Formats: sequence, structure tokens, C-alpha cells
Amino acid sequence: MGVAQSVPVESNWIPSTCGMCLHGCGILVQVRDGVALKIEGDPSNPDNLGKLCPKGNAGLSRLYDPTRVLKPMKRTNPQKGPGIDPKWVEISWDEAYGIVAQELGKVRADDPRKLLCAIGDFQRILLWGWPAAFGSPNFFTSLGNYCGGSYHPVNGSVDGSFAAINDYDLCNYWIQIGSGDGFSSHLHLAGSAKRMADARMRGMRVVSLDPRCSIASAKADEWIPALPGTDRAFVLGMAHVLIHELKRYDREFLRDRTNAPYLVKNDGHHLRSADGKAMAWDLKLGAARPWDEVAAGNMALEGTFTVDNASVRTGFQVWTDLLADHTPERMSQVSTVPAGTIRRIAKEFVDAAQIGATIEIQGKTYPFRPAALNYYRGSQSHSNGLFDNLTFKMINMLVGNIDVPGGHLGVPLDHRGFFVHPGEDGMLKPEPHQLHPAPPFKYPPDSTHLMEWFPIGFDAGQLNTETLLDPKKFGLNYEPEAVLLYHSNPLWNLPETDKVEKIMAKMKFVVAIDIQHTESTQWADVFLPAHTFLESYLLNCLEPPAVTGHSLRQPVVEPVGDTRDAYDILTELAERMGFRDDWNDVLNMVCGYTAQPKYLLDSEKRYSVEEFWDQYARSVYGDEKGLDWFKEHGHAVRYRTPEETYMPYGDLRIPFYFEFILRTGEDMRRNFTEVGLKDWPLDNYQPLPFWKNSQVIEDEKAGYEYFAITFKEGLHTFADTMVMPWLSEVSEKDSVHGGVLINSLTARKLGLKTGDRIRLTSPAGSIEGFAQVIEGIHPQVFGVSNTLTRYVVTNDRAKERGTHFNRLLTGSMRYTDSATGGLESTARVRVEWVRA
Amino acid sequence: MTSAKIAALGTTRKMLGFSRRTVEVEFDNATVADVLRQLPTLDGRTLYDNLVCDGRLRGDFAVVVDGLSLKADQLNRRLQGGEEVVTMAILRHLHGG
Repeated sequence: MGVAQSVPVESNWIPSTCGMCLHGCGILVQVRDGVALKIEGDPSNPDNLGKLCPKGNAGLSRLYDPTRVLKPMKRTNPQKGPGIDPKWVEISWDEAYGIVAQELGKVRADDPRKLLCAIGDFQRILLWGWPAAFGSPNFFTSLGNYCGGSYHPVNGSVDGSFAAINDYDLCNYWIQIGSGDGFSSHLHLAGSAKRMADARMRGMRVVSLDPRCSIASAKADEWIPALPGTDRAFVLGMAHVLIHELKRYDREFLRDRTNAPYLVKNDGHHLRSADGKAMAWDLKLGAARPWDEVAAGNMALEGTFTVDNASVRTGFQVWTDLLADHTPERMSQVSTVPAGTIRRIAKEFVDAAQIGATIEIQGKTYPFRPAALNYYRGSQSHSNGLFDNLTFKMINMLVGNIDVPGGHLGVPLDHRGFFVHPGEDGMLKPEPHQLHPAPPFKYPPDSTHLMEWFPIGFDAGQLNTETLLDPKKFGLNYEPEAVLLYHSNPLWNLPETDKVEKIMAKMKFVVAIDIQHTESTQWADVFLPAHTFLESYLLNCLEPPAVTGHSLRQPVVEPVGDTRDAYDILTELAERMGFRDDWNDVLNMVCGYTAQPKYLLDSEKRYSVEEFWDQYARSVYGDEKGLDWFKEHGHAVRYRTPEETYMPYGDLRIPFYFEFILRTGEDMRRNFTEVGLKDWPLDNYQPLPFWKNSQVIEDEKAGYEYFAITFKEGLHTFADTMVMPWLSEVSEKDSVHGGVLINSLTARKLGLKTGDRIRLTSPAGSIEGFAQVIEGIHPQVFGVSNTLTRYVVTNDRAKERGTHFNRLLTGSMRYTDSATGGLESTARVRVEWVRA
Repeated sequence: MTSAKIAALGTTRKMLGFSRRTVEVEFDNATVADVLRQLPTLDGRTLYDNLVCDGRLRGDFAVVVDGLSLKADQLNRRLQGGEEVVTMAILRHLHGG
């Protein structure tokens, strides 16, 4: 593969895109005599505004890391296991391809489902289609599920977005729950930190709810510590205050922009007309009428009514009644947040929301709601994650701030914008699945992660730890025997590491496409060394918080060693196994070329990396903006317009009462009953959220007194970057990454001090680490930085400090959201001092 | 006569034995269903027989015309001259995360 034509002999700054996390900030790379010297943020890119986080700055140390694998390698030690030396020997690419094609070709000829694929390259989502071309449905990782398992389906169900963020430009009161947005993580950190700083400078207030005094909490106006997994209780308490005590909420928004006024029967379903339309109560007529026959001002938002001798309530009334006992006092008992604090924050929130206010932007008048609650992984990656997400959306709905200036804004998956399709009853069609269509229920299931059993969820990779060790229990009629790893580390990112090791031990063949060795590649039979982001192409567009468009990643130097582009590797393997035509067709589908047949890849042709991305660029921007245009200009990123940002779905209503979730659950119950699986858990398919204890809360009864959490910060991506000496060294200088965090009160109670070796034991397993006594963590919580979680790394100093948090977690359904497949990222633990 | 371009992806390509072709439909105002009926598949039937059940597009296939995916009951959509019809099996088992 060639180098960008613009690579000069003398020092030059080459535009490209960072690849150190999934987001892709615009960068400029200084190159002299073919050597990359420095990386800085590209000031012309409105995404990151010239800013760059530590990971991006450290990108050079990945490119030139002396431990990087630079030649294809073959294992010569047939023994496999943790810590066993594979005894790698270098081989040619031709031999490596030959081995892999032969071994995986046998699997494909027998039953392609017997291949497990783990793909962790988040920027190249297009390449995630390779397993489908091979014929395998299996998703052997839970990397994204820790964050988005319940989050993305709910965003897609509410407003056709993929993620969400508060309006940096106009929000005045920002509640942050279990998230690092604007401070340390999530959507485009570098640009978001700048936007957050600007908002703070103009006076925006930030309140952060978190078990740990995170970066966001430390910089917030107020930090409120709560127990892990109880954030929803805090917010349900707020909702109780707004509805039952203050009686302040945005009636107009709820009545006119949501289905909150639609009538609900006692069975949970909407009351419908003879022709199937949802009914609302017409206050003027004093009767139930189809929703589109009631003038907006006459539609009842609250109330219980009698229709045909049966009692019906509005959807809003159903939640009102449900929240009656969710008093701040009761929610305080769950979360440990004082009831007075819940009441105060609720009042501050609704005061700041300015219900009724409007704002004019570019000649158009919008509602103005400059108060919003933002959230992410820590607050909703739990086994009741669906309820968590619904609750956080609905507190925003109560003040009418969804997708309006100042409020809580949907962030689309990519440049194609929100998924806007009219649904039933004048509503936006829910789109819980955006990365692929929901598969229909099937028994026996096709996939080892049981995706056919989660119609509104994402891919619950953690279930592999259950199904692969007992396939028959789940009806699987085959057993996988090979693994393809592509920059993915399931030994690190799946829960219950001991089980994952047993799964790997069952595999007859493992191939890894990666840059450096990991916990998982030590099980590989063949290692195929890939390019870093400074040697490869990509037209990147992902989850823009304020902007839209693509930014080009391009080679800035000649590839180091005998490494290759992952697209090339996957295409060559497809070629050798005889399915390159299918691979091209899958790319046609995932690139959206089916809607633009002019750009369809020819199934008979092999496309080079440059040809592939040139085709993609022209399909999005027209023939005048191919790869050469991007090489010259770097990016085509622009700010989203107000029309793209604010209520892009026009007059369509969004759901407040989630009847479709209830219906989906009922469908699934019928499906499971028909195949004799009556006990499969379905209890979270509810139309409204409320408080119920999760298994983690219940584990206290078994003697697990404390909670354990893990956390990430801007320095690292999924701990993948812990092998990078520059970043590892920076982490070492911050005591928060120095060991297992423990509150000073708890340390005193247990007789522990900084440096003492302690063991945390959960129902799933144990880890050991060195106590780090601090003030900034809830007294019932132990914190483990993700920088401590690598246990097979080339950086010895990191290894010394290492433990592996995921050993405390479990992939079982008891710790999985039964509706979304979201996994529980918190563990209950017992704590012991490990005396020398 | 109406001409229509056919692009067949994945399973439908294998059914037909080709990926791209322009076909002439024998009468004016032809519908998508008419075009599918005129496409013989390697199993001796037609693409219509393979993709349609009780007059409705089977749930595991998609037909895209002019950039829009047809609903199961929209195979009677009339074709304009030169429009491209893309047929494919729906890919549900893509990776997520």
C-alpha cells in the first residue's frame, strides 16, 4: 500500500484523523524525512477545534513502540494457556495467509457459525461486516456493551438518535450522572472539553452524581456521591418531587410532543379505536376520541376516566401513580443521597429549565429549556439498564428539553442523521437497533450471544461466557471451534475471565489481527500484524456531538515493518477462502450503496484500500470529492444546522409511554412458551420505569457488604492504551490510578492503609490489589481504575500494578438486563486484607 | 417496453448467477413484481418465486428501488424507465457493540 502523495521529504504537517479511541479527532502530524515527529489537533476541524487529548498526543508511541509486532508470526508451542509462551516464529505473509485460509476454510465448509469473531476496531465499523460475509453470526466480545448495551437502544427508541448530549452552547444547568462528557470521556473528548470549558466560563452550573469524585465531579459545582447502580433512584425521586410535590412540568410539551396523553387500559395497552388508533381524552367533549381527532389544547394530560365501564388513565397518569411512593425519603434509602438534596436538585433543575420560554435561532422560534440531565456508562450499565435509561430520558421530558435549544440533544449514528420514520399514532418510529436490523426470534438460536432473543437490545457478548461452555442448555446445535480476533481482547473485556480461558482452550484455531500482543493474542496460532492509524486509510464519521461530516485518516509515513492494512488482510482472507464476492456485497450493504447503485462495488473485482475509500468518499460527497480531495483538504466536517439538531423529526411525537416495549415482551413470552422455555427472564419489558432492586443490590444478603466499580479517564481507551509507555507513565503519577481506591472512613474501619494488599471477592471471583486511601469515593465503594486492569502487557511497571476488574463480574442472565441484554458493570464484594 | 437495471447482491446474486444486468420488460408500466417474474433463477424458478410468498416480499429479503427499500406489500410499484432494482438478503447478523 502506498503512502499519501503529500508526504514530503522535508518537515511538513499532514492532515489526518486520530485513531487512539473510537471518535477520531482531526490531527496534524509533523513528518520529517519520513519520520513522524509530533501530533497536534487540527484547528481547521470544528469537531475538536484544534484540541487533542493525551491519547492522541501519544499516538507516536504506538507507531514506533519497540514491542509492536512487525512480521507475521506462527505459534510453535501447541500448549496454550495464560502465561504459556507461544514460542512465536516469524513467517511470510503468504504462509500466514495460507495457514489461516486453510484452517478457517475448513470451518466455513463445515459450518461457518463455528467461527467466533471479536472485532474491536470501533472506527472501522464497515469492517465489522466481515463475519457476515464469512457466514458467522457470532459476536465474541462485550466491549461496547459495557457502555451502550441499554443506552443506544433507548436513544434510538426515543428520538431515532444513537447517543445524546446536553446542548453545550445554550444549557445553563447540567446534571451529569455517571459520565465523563465534557471532562474525561465519551463523545469526542477533546472538543467536548473545550465546549464544556466555554460553557462554564459563561456561567453554566454543573452537578455531578457519581460514587467516585471523578474528573467531572471534581470540576463540577457540586459532587453528590451515590451508591453504584442507584442513580435511577435519585432521578425517580426528582421526578416524584416535580410531579407530586412541586407540580411543575412542561404540560405543553408532554401533551403535544409525546404520547403521554394517550389513554392506557389496565392491561398496559393503549385504548384503541375500532380502526386501531390510540385514544386520548377530549376535555371539551368529555369523551375518549382517536388521538388525531382531539384538538391539542383539549387533550387531557392527567386523569383517570371511564370508557365502556372500564377505567383508563393517560400514560402520564400511569407514571404519576407509579411514582407516588418514590418519595425522596424512600429513594434516599436506596441511593444514600439525602432526601433534602434530591428535593433541592429537582427544584434547581425545574427552575433552570425556564418552562414556557422560547428562543429564536436563525429566524425560527424554538422552545428554550436550558437545563438538562446527561448520563452515560456508570449510571446505566446495569442489569436494569433499560429502566435507568428510560428514567433519565423521562426526567428530561418532564421539563420539555428533548431536542430543543439548551436541552438534551440526540446525537445521530453518522452523517445520515437521525433515523426519522413515521410510526404509529403520529409518533416517530422507535429504532432500537441501528447497527443492524433486529433478527427475528429463533430457536434453536443461530448466535452464541443469543441476539435472536433480544429484539430491542444490542449484542450481549457477555452471554458467550454462559452459552459456549454449555451450548445445549441454550439450544445451540453446534459448537464453535475457531476464533478471529481483530484488535479485540475478549480475555480482557469479557466478564468471568476463568470461563473465557476455558472457552479459548476449546478452540482448535485462533487468528489475531492486531498491532501488539494482548491477553487474547497469547492464545493465537497465527498473528497478522496490522497498521496503526498513522499508516492506514479511513474516512471517519462517528457520533458527532455538534458537527457532522467525515475526516480522512491517511498514511503519514511508510508502514513500519512488514505490516498491512486490516482491510487488506480481511479482503485477502476472503479471497483465499473464496468469498470475496460476498465480502464486496456485504460492504455494499453496510456502506449504503444499495440506495446508490452507481457506487455498488463489483462483486467480481478486488478493490485496493485506496479504491475502496475513494468509492466511499464519492458516494457521500459526490464524484468531485473523492479520496484525492480528502488527502488535500483533510476533512469535510461542518457544524450541524439548527434544523439538523433541534427536533429533526418535525411534528412526530416521541414516546413517553413505551407500549412497544410491553408488546415486544409479550411477543417474546409467546415465542419462548412455544419452544418450551417458560423460565427465560422477561421481566424488564415494561412500558415505564420504576425502582426495583437489581441482583447486585440483592447480593448484600449473601454477605457482600461493599460495591466495586471500575472507571475510565481521558488518558486511556478501554485500557488498550496501557501498553503505551507514555500514557502508562502519566497514569502512574496520578494516585487515583495507584491502586484500589478506598474511602478513608472505610479504611479506618477495616484497619487498612495505603499500600496494604487487599482482596475483593464477588459472587463471580476475586482480584487483589494495593489499597489507595482517598477521600473522594463513597464509603461503601471500592474503585479500580481501568489502567489497572491489564494483566498481560509488555509494560512491566503497569503489570506490577495490575489486577483485572472483570473477574468480579458475571455474564449470566441474572446480571443482564432481560430486555436489552445490557450487562451489569458493578459488583458486590467482600474485602480482606491479604497479609504477607 | 420498459428497461430496468438489476443489481443482485449476496444470496440473490447466487440465485440468478449474475450481479448486474439490464433487463427489458415486455410491456409498459411494468411493476417490480413483473421484473422479478422475468428473472429466471438457477433452480429453474424465477426470482419472484424465491423472494415472494403470498404476494408479499419475504421478511429475509429486501428490494430497493430508487434508493428506497420497498415494504413487503409494495412489489406492485411501477417502474420508470432506467430505474435500478437492487435485490438482496437482509443482513441481520452484523456485529454490534
